[in-house]
Order: sequence, then structure tokens, then C-alpha cells
Amino acid sequence: MSLAMTLPGRAATPALRALGGAVILLLAWELAAQRLGGAYLLAGPVEVARWLTENPGLTGRALAVTLWNGAAGFVLGNLVAMLLAGAALIWPRSQPVITGLSLLVFCLPLVATGPILRVLMGPGNAPQIALAALAVFYTTLIPLLVGLRAAPAVWFDLVRSYGRGRMAELRHIRARAALPYLFAGLQIAAPAAFLGAMVGEFTGAERGLGVLTIRFLRALDVPGLWAVCSVAATVSILAYAGIGALARAVLREPPPLILSMPSTERAPHALVSTALVAALALLIWWAGMEAMSLNPFFAKRPGDVLDALLIAPDAAETRARLGAALSETAIFLLPGYVAGLVIGAALAMAVTLLPAAGALVLPLAVALRSVPIVATAPLIVLLLGRGALGTITLVGVMVFFPTFVACLHGLRQTPGQIRDVFDCFAASRLRRLVDLQIPAMLPAFFAAARMAVPAAVLAVTVVEWLATGRGIGSLMALSASLSDYDMLWSCVLVVAVLSALGFAAIAGIERRMLSRLAPEQVRQ
Amino acid sequence: MPADPPPPDILCRGLAKVFPGGVEVLSPLDVALAAGQTTALVGPSGCGKSTLLRLIAGLEDPSAGSILIGGETPDHMRRQAAISVAFQDPSLLPWRSLRGNIALGRKLARLPADQALVDRLIRLVGLAGFEATRPAALSGGMRQRAAIARALASAPRLLLLDEPFGAVDELTRRQLALDLPPLWQERGTTTLLVTHSVSEAVFLADRILVLSLRPARIVADIAVPLPHPRLSDLADSAGFHALASQVSTALARGVAA
Repeated sequence: MSLAMTLPGRAATPALRALGGAVILLLAWELAAQRLGGAYLLAGPVEVARWLTENPGLTGRALAVTLWNGAAGFVLGNLVAMLLAGAALIWPRSQPVITGLSLLVFCLPLVATGPILRVLMGPGNAPQIALAALAVFYTTLIPLLVGLRAAPAVWFDLVRSYGRGRMAELRHIRARAALPYLFAGLQIAAPAAFLGAMVGEFTGAERGLGVLTIRFLRALDVPGLWAVCSVAATVSILAYAGIGALARAVLREPPPLILSMPSTERAPHALVSTALVAALALLIWWAGMEAMSLNPFFAKRPGDVLDALLIAPDAAETRARLGAALSETAIFLLPGYVAGLVIGAALAMAVTLLPAAGALVLPLAVALRSVPIVATAPLIVLLLGRGALGTITLVGVMVFFPTFVACLHGLRQTPGQIRDVFDCFAASRLRRLVDLQIPAMLPAFFAAARMAVPAAVLAVTVVEWLATGRGIGSLMALSASLSDYDMLWSCVLVVAVLSALGFAAIAGIERRMLSRLAPEQVRQ
Repeated sequence: MPADPPPPDILCRGLAKVFPGGVEVLSPLDVALAAGQTTALVGPSGCGKSTLLRLIAGLEDPSAGSILIGGETPDHMRRQAAISVAFQDPSLLPWRSLRGNIALGRKLARLPADQALVDRLIRLVGLAGFEATRPAALSGGMRQRAAIARALASAPRLLLLDEPFGAVDELTRRQLALDLPPLWQERGTTTLLVTHSVSEAVFLADRILVLSLRPARIVADIAVPLPHPRLSDLADSAGFHALASQVSTALARGVAA
């Protein structure tokens, strides 16, 4: 049966399952709220609904502001991503530099970028929009770069055999082949833009859902906090689902899953492009500040940061404070990251062995994956406290959902012909899992692990910023409030570089795995 | 007095191809293919038949030697949309319907749309009724027939067919072998056909080049003096069998060499 013929019939069932999952979730939430009544921890859906009906104006105004900021950032970030992808296509040699610089920007800790943008851009919505754009452009750029090359070589041979050039390739093949990838990127970008706008509002805005969140957290207004976070989660789910529905309406093929970076760079080239990325990043940083004649008191140049970290009389003390904060953060970050990955992959495998459970869990997990977990950080802090458990859980949850969903899809995306071979031998589910599905899942697992690095850093810094008073997030919050811009910029630089290195390390392992397991994805 | 042989349309001189890593696929070849003729390339698997076809299409650069098509380079002829290739892989675009894929052949060649021709080609390759169907819903053989129709849609001067009937069932293969040659003969198309099938080569071609194992060299150059149009009972004739036997012997010699 053709794909086109099977799609409409299959679309209804997941919707029903998602509804079933959502009802179960709401019931469990309400039950938990009833059990914890009076503990000032949890407001159930009934209480949340009541709060929302009593405060429609407040919520509506805040939502409108955040929605506008998120939407503007979404458009801006995705336009930048498309322009960069176009540049990389026209001039392929620029791709390592474009992706390297973009990764570095993507790894900037939003919680520190927020206050810096606020002093650079002044009051108003511009910093939130910029943060929303920063939160989305990389997640669109990477799939787009992959998608623009996601066509069999023979299709390009076909165009070339008629003597046509790159424009014809772009028009007839690349643009259309990239569409599913673009939609996959946009789908991730929609909630990410909302998250970016909210994080921007966490760090000093005047209006918006993020501002309400901070206000309710400080006032211990439990129903208000749960209501705002529920609205944020619902908007994100709707944005995610809306783009998914648009993609289904436009596309006939299923959405792509694996968003790996194609690269055939050899080690010496990789070293050269890394050095080039570093040099360009420093140059752009310096030239940007100089071109705008920004006050060096708050707009630190690379030289100022290097001075603060290496030369100034108190450089050793700065480094020691940074090191101590990073160690504190690492203690929460690494266990949460590893736990999120391991539990995500393990649960996906378990669900594969029990398909009935998977049918119920997957639509729910896909929906929850779209929730900006960081926007619900205050809830997790409220529930689990400001200690290690709350922070590790938040990082774990942030990593868990994308990993679980990616692994589950990966486990199901085994090639049909190979599956037939296992069918011929009536292989058990366990045998299929071990010999067929886990190897097929690994690329998805590594892609999730790679993208989870900046996400985990964001989660840990947000929770440290908002609640725990420890680690690098707290140091950034303190530096921002004390106008210690040397320290704030040093934090930004160190966190961005460490995140990018973590990302690159996972990407290196991923490429090795892909070249063995899915060589067609490593093709340039 | 015999007629003068037609002028060469494709001229390969000292053509060689070595892939990165030192894999020598073609040892220097000298080949001249006549205009308007159909030439079949046969040889063992992996001997370099498809590589030779890709070199002539200008999709690969030779390591040594030169190729001229009508006195021009393959690159120049591609830019003139004078070449069309039906690849071993049908390479249909999944988002286009069958008709859209076949019409793409004209679009890429910058030719005006010709619905009547596209419909005629669809009928010719036996796909009438599937015009609006997407490739995912077609069988392997149907896709391959669509790829042949696309290659014909631009009415190329040089038609390159890389095992075009590989995934086609026997009945359809016989029908296509009857229906397609008149089409390219009426247009005076020079055709180069890569095939594994000796009988297909004898049935379709005016000349058969038998290649050896890699690095490929020509071990036999066999003329097929059977008259056109060729009908299905030709395959039962003594002349056909004698030629097929000659090609098979040359193939065996090429493998043993």
C-alpha cells in the first residue's frame, strides 16, 4: 500500500492516543495535587483553571507580550538560519566556519546573554526577541544544512546530465528535499523561541509570562505559578503541534529524524577551521563592540576578558571563583545529563519490548518534549527543593524527553528489508532489539546527546540563576546584579566554549558511529 | 558497393579512469561510435561499463584521454541539453507525480512543456492510468520504465541507458525492446546501452562492445547486421543465435583474460 494511502488513516489514531495520554496526565496531576493539598507545592488542573478564569486579563496581557516576542524571535532566528544555510550552500568551504560560529553562539548561556543584551539594547522587547532568535537559529540551521544535501547523488547526476547548474539543483531538488528537514527544525524552533522569550523575561524584562513567573515564585503564589507554567506549556505544545500539522498538510513523506551534521573534514582541516572559527568569533565580538561604540564598562571586548582571566592582578582570584562555580555546576550537570540520556534510551527500549505501553506513551512524550522544561524550572524547584535533587532532576528531564522520543523513533526506523530477514527467522523481540533496533537507534541517540549538551547547560544555569544560589548560573546572576561585567563576560565565554567543546566531543563520537552504522549520512 | 559507414558521433581517445586509491577501472580505450546507431556495452559485473557511460555523459572526469561528442566536449553537449541518461537507479523525485517526473526531463533540458509527448511516452512505457501516481506507490519495474520515459522526453541527441531494463519483468522487457528502438531511430538518436543481457544487446544494438574484467578493455567489437525494425520472432532466428553465441564467447574470453 502506498504511503499516501496509509497516512490519513494513521493520523487519527495517534491523536486519540495523545488525548488518552493527556487525560491520564491531568488525572494524575489532580490526584497528586489533592494528596499534597496544603503543602504549598502543587496546584492541580482544577485550581489552575480557576486561577486562570479569575485572572484572564493579567494572563492574557502577559501571554500576548511573550507570544509576540517569541514569534518575532522565531521569524528572525529562522531567517538568519536560512541565510546562513544558503551561504554555506553557495560557498561550501564556508560551512565549517558558519556552523562553528553558529554553534558557539548557540552555546552562549542565555541567562547571561539576557542581561548583557539588556544593557546593550536598552529596555523594551528587543533583548527578549534577540534571545528567542538565538534559541532557534541553530536548531533550524543544522537540519536545513542536512536537508539541502539530503538527496541521493543520482538526483544531482540527473540534473547535471542535462547540463544544468546549481540553481537548477536548488530549485528542482534541494529546496524540496530540504522541506521536511526545515519543518523538523521549525517544529523544534517554535517552543524554543517561546522558551527564549521567557528566559529573556526572567532576566530583567518588564512584562510577559517570564516576569509573572518570577513574581509568583518570589511571592510563593503556587496556583499563579502553576497556571503561568501551564499556559507556557500549552502554548508550546500547540505551536509544536501546529507546525507538525502544517508539515503533514504540505509533505507526503514522513518527517526526518536524524539531524546529523554531514562532514568529510579530515583532522588537519578541522583544526584549521576551529582556529578560524575562534579567530573570527573574537574579531566579530571586538568589531561589533567597536562599531557600535559601546561603553567598555559593560560592553567588554575580548581583550578585557582575557585581561580579567589572565593578566589583571586579581586574575587568579577570578579564575578560582570561576573554577569553583564550574565544579559546583558540573556536580549537578553531569549526573543529570547522563541520567537523562540513559533513562531516555532505556525507557525507549523498554517501551519497544512492550508496544502497547509505547502506543500510549509516545504521543504524550512527543507533546511533553515540546514543553520548554526550563520554563517549568520554578515548578521543579518548588516540588523538589533548591538542593541537588531539584537541579539534577531538571537537567535530567530536559535531556530525557528529546532523547526518549528520538530513541523511540530510531528504534522503529529499522530498514524494512532487514526487518524481513528477522521475520523470516521469527526472531524474538529481544533478539530484534539487540541485533537490529539498538544499532539502528544509535545515530538518533547520539544526535539527541549532542543537542542535549547546550540544553542541559541552559537548564542548569537557569535553575542556579533562579533558585539554588550555587554554581556558574548563580555566579552570573550575582555578577549581573553587581554590575561585575568582567566576571559576567568571563562566565559567558567560558560556558560557551565548554558547551561547544562538549558538543563537539559528542559530535566526534557520533560521526565515528555514523560512519560505521549509517555511512550515507556522513556523505557531504 | 557497400554504403559509407556513418560518421563517428562519439570519439574516445586514450580514455582511462583511475579512482582515488589507485583503482584502475578503464585501461586506455579508443572508441568511435557512429551517429544514429545503437551500441551495447556488455561485460562482467564491476568491469567499468557504467563508468564509461558516466565519462561519456560528462558526469566523471577521465584520468587520461579525451571524449568528443559531435566534435564538442561532453560538458558542452550537456549544456546544450543534447544528452539524456536513464540511470540504473530510476532516481524519480518522490514529491512529483509520474507525469511530473517525466515532464521534468523537458524542464531540465529547458524545452517547452509538451503534454502530448509526455502522455505518448507514458503510454509507450505502459504506465497509462498512473499519471498522477507518486513513485512510492509504483513498483520497481514501473519506476524504471518512468525513468526511461523521462530520458526520452527531451528528445536527446545522445541517449545513455545504464541497464535500463534491470528491474523490469520479462514480458514488459520484451515489449519495451520492441517499442523503444523505433522511437530513438526515428529521431536519429545515438544510443549507448549498458546491459548484462547478451540477448538484449543483440536484439537492440547495431554494434556490441564486449569489455574485459577491470581494468576494462575492449575484447570484441561485434557488428549486428540484423535489419530494423526488429520483431519478436527475430530472437528465434539462426542469425540471432549465432551473434549471441559470438558475444557469449567473447565475454567468456574477457573474463578469462
